[in-house]
Amino acid sequence: MAAGQLFDGEPVIEFSSDRDRRTFLKWAGIIGVGSTLTVLLRSGYVAAQTEDDDIDILNYVLTLEYLEADFYERGLGADRLSGRDLALVEPIGAHERAHVSLITSTVEKLGGTPVEQPSFNYPSGTFGSRDKFLQAAYTFEALGVTAYHGQVTNFQNGELLAAAATIAGTESRHAAILADLTGQNPFPRPLEKQASRNQVLQTAGKFIRG
Amino acid sequence: MDRRSFVKGTLVAVPGAVVLQSAPAWAQSPSYGSDIDILNYALVAEYFLSEFYRRGKVQMSGKGARYIQSIGDDEDGHIAAITQTIQNLGGSPVQAPGLDYGKALTSQSTFLEFALRFENLFARAYLGAAPAIQNKEILQAAAGIYGVEERHAAIVAQLLGREPEGGVYVGAVNEPADKATVLKAIEPYLKGAKAATSGAAVTL
Repeated sequence: MAAGQLFDGEPVIEFSSDRDRRTFLKWAGIIGVGSTLTVLLRSGYVAAQTEDDDIDILNYVLTLEYLEADFYERGLGADRLSGRDLALVEPIGAHERAHVSLITSTVEKLGGTPVEQPSFNYPSGTFGSRDKFLQAAYTFEALGVTAYHGQVTNFQNGELLAAAATIAGTESRHAAILADLTGQNPFPRPLEKQASRNQVLQTAGKFIRG
Repeated sequence: MDRRSFVKGTLVAVPGAVVLQSAPAWAQSPSYGSDIDILNYALVAEYFLSEFYRRGKVQMSGKGARYIQSIGDDEDGHIAAITQTIQNLGGSPVQAPGLDYGKALTSQSTFLEFALRFENLFARAYLGAAPAIQNKEILQAAAGIYGVEERHAAIVAQLLGREPEGGVYVGAVNEPADKATVLKAIEPYLKGAKAATSGAAVTL
């Protein structure tokens, strides 16, 4: 599928600086996230990343955490939940915000520059009902879990690895609870699945088609 | 720079600038031993929960019964995977310990409370052991098991109707548990524990 078809020609992630755009495109690598990528690849502007350092990994997961935090802020703002649903989802939004600040400060302490928050656009109707919001949330959480597990062995710093693992574990709890709330199986596999950056970005890109 | 160098023993040589949930215990885990030792430690925890669900699932019905069946199946899957891995590495898997869960099996609520306690603890046990794992593939698998134990804990808490934060969730990040804490917690439920684990990596 061509990038233009995938996104209906609309920008779905808007970056606040060229540097952030370049970073994201570097992650997106060969799969083609965003219609501009094809052009950039053709011009030799973007090379597929082969040797990721820890800061680079952290900036990758930071973008996913930005996406999740933004998603819950908008979803909870749409006021579709009540009772136990609301009580269970509100802390998830708080966790994602906490993950953003933890990862941001870690990147800074490591001497890196955290990527800035992109702007996200969601398909119309994403927050139109309880079921749609929770189903989308489940999709995001399941994606986040596989994203972290896809990076587990890429960290060079053992403590960063352990820290990333505990964030992943939090996302596992979220995924299980959202599966329960949406009538899906909270325990799809005995071990969490992994996904590469390209797989994750492809899925995220599809989901947030504008 | 070999990105896999941390696998080869440089794991403890980490810079001080670790902000994400830095926990001193992680850097001071001499008791974890080899990867086979760690796998045997994990195997005891998996035996502990697997047997508990096998005996206690009669307490459940409906959705709760389905969930507990799935959770028990996961633990059995973990046992099979860990046992196979130990054998592939040329090690000897510990035998299943004798277990006596006492009053934990007397009602649905005691059953679920006990399950929650140990799902939470064993998730934290995996977190505690992770930095000591040398082999990359084992680390990947341990992380995968860890995440599933977190799922179990969340759903058991949900079945109990626990409060979201501090019950279903344990904050934005979880805390590791060290080996001594974990073994001390399970010790009261082991029958003939020293015999069951003698000669193996797990010492009480």
